[in-house]
Amino acid sequence: MGPAPAGKQLRGATGGPEVMEPALEGKGKEGKEASSRKRTLAEPPAKGLLQPMKLSRAELYKEPTNEELNRLRETEILFHSSLLRLQVEELLKEVRLSEKKKDRIDAFLREVNQRVMRVPSVPETKLTDQSWLPAGVRVPLHQLPYAVKGCFRFLPPAQVVVVGSYLLGTCIRPNVNVDVALTMPREILQDKDGLNQRYFRKRALYLAHLAHHLAQDPLFGSVRFSYTNGCHLKPSLLLRPCGKDERLVTVRLHPCPPPDFFRPCRLLPTKNNVRSVWYRGQSPAGDGSPEPPTPHYNTWVLQDIALESHLQLLSTMLGSAQGLKDGVALLKVWLRQRELDKGQGGLTGFLVSMLVVFLVSTRKIHTTMSGYQVLRSVLQFLATTDLTVNGISLCLSSDPSLPALADFHQAFSVVFLDSSGCLNLCADVTASTYHQVQHEARLSMMLLDSKADDGFQLLLMTPKPMIRAFDHVLHLRPLSRLQAACHRLKLWPELQDNGGDYVSAALGPLTTLLEQGLGTRLHLLAHSRPPVPEWDISQDPPKHKDSGTLTLGLLLRPEGLTSILELGPEADQPEAAEFRQFWGSRSELRRFQDGAIREAVVWEAASMSQKRLIPHQVVTHLLALHADIPETCVHYVGGPLDALIQGLKETSSTGEEALAVAVRCYDDLSRLLWGLEGLPLTVSAVQGAHPVLRYTEVFPPTPVRPAFSFYEPLREQSSLLPRPDKPCPAYVEPMPVVCHLEGSGQWPQDAEAVRRVRAAFQLRLAELLTQQHGLQCRATATHTDVLKDGFVFRIRVAYHREPQILREVQSPEGLNSLRDTPASLCLERDTRQLPLLTSVLHGLQQQHPAFSGVARLAKRWVRAQLLGEGFTDESLDLVAAALFLHPEPFTPPSSPQVGFLRFLLLVSTFDWKNNPLIVNLNNELTVEEQVEIRSGFLAARAQLPVMVIVTPQDRKNSVWTQDGPSAQILQQLVVLAAEALPVLEKQLMDPWGPGDIRMGPRENVAL
Amino acid sequence: MVARRGKRAARDSEDRIPSPPGYTAIPVKFSEKQQASHYLYVRAHSVREGTKSTWPQKRTLFVLNVPPYCTEECLSRLLSSCGPVQSVELQEKPDLAESPKEPRSKFFHPKPVPGFQVAYVVFQKPGGVSAALALKGPLLVSTESHPVKSGIHKWIRDYADSVPDPEALRAEVDTFMEAYDQKIAEEEAKAKEEEGVPDEEGWVKVTRRGRRPVLPRTEAASLRVLERERRKRARKELLNFYAWQHRESKMEHLAQLRKKFEEDKQRIELLRAQRKFRPY
Repeated sequence: MGPAPAGKQLRGATGGPEVMEPALEGKGKEGKEASSRKRTLAEPPAKGLLQPMKLSRAELYKEPTNEELNRLRETEILFHSSLLRLQVEELLKEVRLSEKKKDRIDAFLREVNQRVMRVPSVPETKLTDQSWLPAGVRVPLHQLPYAVKGCFRFLPPAQVVVVGSYLLGTCIRPNVNVDVALTMPREILQDKDGLNQRYFRKRALYLAHLAHHLAQDPLFGSVRFSYTNGCHLKPSLLLRPCGKDERLVTVRLHPCPPPDFFRPCRLLPTKNNVRSVWYRGQSPAGDGSPEPPTPHYNTWVLQDIALESHLQLLSTMLGSAQGLKDGVALLKVWLRQRELDKGQGGLTGFLVSMLVVFLVSTRKIHTTMSGYQVLRSVLQFLATTDLTVNGISLCLSSDPSLPALADFHQAFSVVFLDSSGCLNLCADVTASTYHQVQHEARLSMMLLDSKADDGFQLLLMTPKPMIRAFDHVLHLRPLSRLQAACHRLKLWPELQDNGGDYVSAALGPLTTLLEQGLGTRLHLLAHSRPPVPEWDISQDPPKHKDSGTLTLGLLLRPEGLTSILELGPEADQPEAAEFRQFWGSRSELRRFQDGAIREAVVWEAASMSQKRLIPHQVVTHLLALHADIPETCVHYVGGPLDALIQGLKETSSTGEEALAVAVRCYDDLSRLLWGLEGLPLTVSAVQGAHPVLRYTEVFPPTPVRPAFSFYEPLREQSSLLPRPDKPCPAYVEPMPVVCHLEGSGQWPQDAEAVRRVRAAFQLRLAELLTQQHGLQCRATATHTDVLKDGFVFRIRVAYHREPQILREVQSPEGLNSLRDTPASLCLERDTRQLPLLTSVLHGLQQQHPAFSGVARLAKRWVRAQLLGEGFTDESLDLVAAALFLHPEPFTPPSSPQVGFLRFLLLVSTFDWKNNPLIVNLNNELTVEEQVEIRSGFLAARAQLPVMVIVTPQDRKNSVWTQDGPSAQILQQLVVLAAEALPVLEKQLMDPWGPGDIRMGPRENVAL
Repeated sequence: MVARRGKRAARDSEDRIPSPPGYTAIPVKFSEKQQASHYLYVRAHSVREGTKSTWPQKRTLFVLNVPPYCTEECLSRLLSSCGPVQSVELQEKPDLAESPKEPRSKFFHPKPVPGFQVAYVVFQKPGGVSAALALKGPLLVSTESHPVKSGIHKWIRDYADSVPDPEALRAEVDTFMEAYDQKIAEEEAKAKEEEGVPDEEGWVKVTRRGRRPVLPRTEAASLRVLERERRKRARKELLNFYAWQHRESKMEHLAQLRKKFEEDKQRIELLRAQRKFRPY
């Protein structure tokens, strides 16, 4: 799969004289080779700008070599396009380990092996007697309760083997981890060690002793403890080389029991291995009831047993197939960009590799497939199957003694059994995490199917942190409140199973509770996974509450947000009691218009911005009611930016309502215009052309009623003139409305005459509106101002052929041709494109209620940076619209906050030099047309403005950015956005930190 | 201090006032109160041999740097001390031709953007020009007898001026349209007269108004005809019929792929240079 030989002779954009070079040098092949190589080296992509390709005829039409044909065919079959193939290859080159580093790592591993084998043994003592442990090391485990039976002694491991991704070659940079399994000798373990954490205690002591001896070795730069996959019962030892290699690799030591020591039948999910008498000091409630099963505990023991068999399985399946390994590496990158592989219960690289193995064994993936195809197949599988309902299994045997899948479904939320049929690989994965993975897979599949040009970039290169991906985010802190929540939710068996880890125990029930409460408002609920801590060997392991903050992300459903009512069952139904119990005091009996009497919950929300924050009310109410978490511990981040687009006097609304009032007034006016009688020509269209009429004016206009004492009449009461001795009257911005009149043979075909006729229409319009509807009007030659309900509308009469008339030029031969002139372009923009854009964006607002907020926040920010002069209203509106129409890899934002973050992201990361921003309004552009636009853009780059925004109505000229911004202003905006984004994200993610959110975007002026 | 000393020096001898070569500077102030002044740069209007100019030679004074608060009447008043003024015209840029005499419509020609302008002042006698060149100044624009409005008063006046009189507008539109209709009617009558009548060489002019209307002479129409022709030809052509056609279309496909590949490689090169392949 190396680069094809043809690649060597290919050249980029070269200047004129250089093209001549090979011809001058004659036909000597070496000379040609050398010069072209020199060129590829010397040619930096000219100032970071893409040039249209110019290839000579000879190069384009030369006879193809066999290899070239093969490569082309391969590209066509295995990849989407040649660009994608090149991109994937580059990415893999970037993340894969180099051979040189592998050699260094191998050397280090050999050293580790020797050192571990040389650790001296220790005589046998009771498990509770830990006085033999040296002073500098603490047991990396919370020993609660402390008393436990059994004896421990240290003996060097029976076997040291490398397991995991390093051997398979699917390990990716940065943060290279090598997992090493240490098989503890059989003499250390006794019968019944599976019970009551005895095995885990021994494992921890084993590591503690090992740590103490290895820490004294100068070979290691640092020796620290951590948890295996975040599981609090299973510490592991991290070894890093010292000196400059410190960042090279982390070796993780995992002790494991000798093979066949534990009997799998004792560790099935239905079995109990942590006795209540031991753990809680009391037998389970009611004397006859059985002990609660401990599925997670059992799984953790089983995981240690199966380490080696998993490695064998993986290496037989993936061993020889480079495509599969590439696929796993790509999947790891994919997961990592979405933060799905981190923390406890994440989808680790190991899980993904097993998933690939599963798909290979079910023949959904073939070993000859390319990495991209593997990625695609796995995503397809994730998107279309539901492991929470139908688990999958790698086990082929039909042994009746093995447990049924249903048993596993009862114990775990996600089921994926390994080849032994006893171990659920996805035991720690919560349902929410799995749903999030599914959601991401579905989004990615949609993106891949849409054949977007930069699918690779969006799929694998764009990070999706929680704050940017979710509409609202809420933080729970301090985590110690969750302990109380566990008791309130009666989660004692789960605590027993999880070894006292109340965060993981409470996570599942809490998310289910919130999901049920948010109901139709919610699209997806995700939670941050507690990070895996690392600590020094001389310290006690961190407490459960030390993992900081639990963050929940809510992806809202815009259509569900508008309702303030939670409708329950009818009062006499049996479900009513359940409903009442769920909602507590908020549930009321209400009588509805259809006569039904039902239980219902009504939330207080008057304006759109308050309705968007109903989830806040729901969450705080439910958490306080069911989980005993007071409001002070819940920090809900949903509307801190709303304050920036609130009017000075209004604090309850973000202006959507005020804008709607203005739009309604405009609708009334347009109805009046339609129904006007007595105009010589009928009105063919009435269109608004002002930001208010597309809901993107930052501060909506307020109706103005002039105080007459401040004015003196001008010309018989028809107009008012401000008095010089009174305060300055309020500024009322007129809102342009374009009123198209029907075409007719009576219109003159001369530009000057058309203007006169239009003026006559303006006069007539003013007359008729005053006569028939009593509106105050003033006509001028170009427009008629109408005062309606305190708003001023500026009606412009337009004739659809006028731009054409202005464009007509007669050549000397008498041939009429059409040429754009400044006047015609201006008229075209004002009477055709602007109203069209306004109506399309008005439609977008109906589809996505958050559009208004996002566009207004964006404009507010740009203007607060004193850059408003450089950008037209329309261009910023279009950028905001792009966030909704092309949200990939996210979903369209449903709250202004996340939309604004993505606006900053888009502005700061978009390559304005080499790409047009295509805003596919109404989905009018096909994929082919977009490709055509892109290539046209490259060819005409020099003539186009710095910032190019293409819409279906405006495919070539980028009308709204013609007069600005300049390159400097745009660069300034990009820099400011790149600075503001991390600042704002940090403030939103850490609400307890310093800094005032309201000041955020304004303060950034100084940045 | 420096500025004031400079001004005093300027008052002593006017040669010291810096001005473009060939021009004489005349200080002009808004009113008594101001200390600093603007300068009008004046010169007798003259053109090179053979260049046509509608402004009368010798009697016309060319003025540069006329401040925005100085109107035509005002300029006329200021220069009337040098001799009777026949006309004053303010323009944005120097223009050799006198603007058309007919009054421009105040409704349909937007007022020029205020700023510094140039002026052509025509005196009744040639003596006025020389007298103006010798003028010492400073000239005062706003005086007791002829005050110029400023500040909020000016804005209120501007606003009042911007409110048009609908009746006047209607009258203007009506007169223009009458004239236009008449012109069109005349043209049509002339065209009708010429219809079908051969000229002296025997050519007959074909118009759209004839019994059999012909294609309009526009670019769009001719393009449409060409396109139709091309399509007709394409329909008759055989594609992928001969072996060489097959070969060529395959080669064409390959060339397309190669071109695309080259473009992609360039793109990758660019991204690599920007370190865009570091995923995190």
